[in-house]
Amino acid sequence: MTRKVCIIGGATTPFDYGPSGWENPENGAAECVREVQEDVPEFHLRDVDLMVYSHFSVHFAHQLAGEWIVHDHLGLVGLPHFRVENGGNTGGSALYAAALAIMSGHHDVVGIVGWETMDSVSQSQGSEFIAMASDIRYELLVGGIYPIYYAAMANKWMRENRVTEEDVAAIGAKNRNNAMDNPKAQWYRTEHRHITVDDVMGSKLIAYPIKKYDCCLMSRGVAFMVVCTEEYARKVNPDGYVTIDGIGLSSCTIRAGDRPNYPAWAERYGPGYPDMTEFGACRQSADFAYRMAGIDDPLHQIDFGEIHDAFSTSEAQIYKALYLTDTDGVAQFLRDGETELTGSIPMNPGGGLMGYGHPVGATGLMSAVEAYYQLCGMIPKKHLSKRTEVPDAGCGIVNSHAGTGTSISNFILRRCA
Amino acid sequence: MEDRPKPKFPAEGQVNLPTESAETGLEFTGYEISADGNYFNQFMHYDQLYRLRHGVNSRFFMELLNGRIFGTRCPRCGDSFVPPRTNCWRLDCRLQPTEWVEFPPTAKVHTWTVAGWSGRSSLKRLPLVLVYAFIGDSKVAIANELHGIEPWQAEFGMPLKVVFRNAGERVGAVTDFWFEPADGWRPPRMNAERKRIKALVEPVYAWVATMK
Repeated sequence: MTRKVCIIGGATTPFDYGPSGWENPENGAAECVREVQEDVPEFHLRDVDLMVYSHFSVHFAHQLAGEWIVHDHLGLVGLPHFRVENGGNTGGSALYAAALAIMSGHHDVVGIVGWETMDSVSQSQGSEFIAMASDIRYELLVGGIYPIYYAAMANKWMRENRVTEEDVAAIGAKNRNNAMDNPKAQWYRTEHRHITVDDVMGSKLIAYPIKKYDCCLMSRGVAFMVVCTEEYARKVNPDGYVTIDGIGLSSCTIRAGDRPNYPAWAERYGPGYPDMTEFGACRQSADFAYRMAGIDDPLHQIDFGEIHDAFSTSEAQIYKALYLTDTDGVAQFLRDGETELTGSIPMNPGGGLMGYGHPVGATGLMSAVEAYYQLCGMIPKKHLSKRTEVPDAGCGIVNSHAGTGTSISNFILRRCA
Repeated sequence: MEDRPKPKFPAEGQVNLPTESAETGLEFTGYEISADGNYFNQFMHYDQLYRLRHGVNSRFFMELLNGRIFGTRCPRCGDSFVPPRTNCWRLDCRLQPTEWVEFPPTAKVHTWTVAGWSGRSSLKRLPLVLVYAFIGDSKVAIANELHGIEPWQAEFGMPLKVVFRNAGERVGAVTDFWFEPADGWRPPRMNAERKRIKALVEPVYAWVATMK
């Protein structure tokens, strides 16, 4: 039996784009640690015995091994450290690595710092940098960047699932409106307004069926969290920790066009899955995490999720991959608002990537930190009100997602007993 | 594992690199200061020339220069691939090396989208139709642009032909070709969805026209 993995605290800087006062990753990391020290006074950096750094692209900062700057700045020289990079799932993968370190028995208290500085270049240049995580030999410069690849996948998915532009636009509005209760969210700090489905429908075309407000935000931001043994959690934060009861990580093709006939998927889920429409790696990583956490009816056993809404379409696709609904039911599931704050399983009450922001290396950690706040009753303290609190939340899912679904992780978090 | 003879580059007369592509390297080129005088931004310029060594995938790119689509086929299971895979993807084929084969210049749309935004290098070509299409009997679909139609006319399953740039303009990259509707294809009638796409792309035309 492996050891239980717990989270005892976490924080992010404000996520933003352009001048914000939060330009430096090392200072942002320090301020995040200071916030956790305030929340959990018994936590001390001296207790950490491994640091995992979560950072996607050196293109944005042109700083190789930027984690060395952060680590040194935090006063942790001498402590073991390494960096995890796994595309948009970098944060989830860093959390996975930290969890493995605890489960193995080799480390007891692991700090994770994630960051990205995407506003160092123009948005269109930034999009092209991110597109370099496609197979540049066969996919780059034929007009494609990630939103376009996602749009091609979503266009077919929506047709086959009878989901309309309006159905997914509601997700774009939901997550931005949730972010309006979250002062660290980029949407709150920048455009700062409540929007409607009509606003999403009327926003400019990115790639059909995706419009601007169906897309996540390009961001600068830092996140920090502490993962540890239950023994340490009970010692420093006995009433304010969560357990990570299930972890799952899976992979899919780098080129989405290689999916329709991929033999390894046919072996697992039968012919025709995932095609270019479903997220096979999300389904399989959920299978892993659900099995480990004893989840067999996710819609009723999970209270909420912080999931990777890179696009409103992909959030809808993720609902299916997580078994919350199916081909016959997904359109109605969306129209019934099941993932709104008032629905049966609120998704992205913290704002998600469309509302909070998507500084890639920090994103998966932000999702986990928001889930931690929900489960520990900290939303009224961290958000502006109780509006985005999921009442009596006991179990949440955290989802982190890379490429065109190329690497995906899922985590089941539960409030300490 | 058999050793491979080391290639020598370039063969005489076979280097094709415009002088304007030369590396310029790193340079701190300027700065700006915030209105309150408290924050400082530095401009750094970085421009490098990369040599993508295509190794055993080279045949695909060299044949693009010849205006031909080459992919690979597994001699054990028969699966074929464009883009090429140089070892078979079936675990039971145990990474069987594949063989190069020429593919016909015909394809079929698996899915499509109409882009109104893209990376820096593609902005002036907007709006553009990106398709994933199966070339010949390939088991994998390849992404490329669909030209020769109005953006709102793209269809699932539509038949395509592969069209190459003129020989003198090719650089041995996937941008050497694009798709066009197969001869004989007729545009579909306007419907509600196509009207919606048309309305979405009209501002894109206007925006691109303002670009320098």
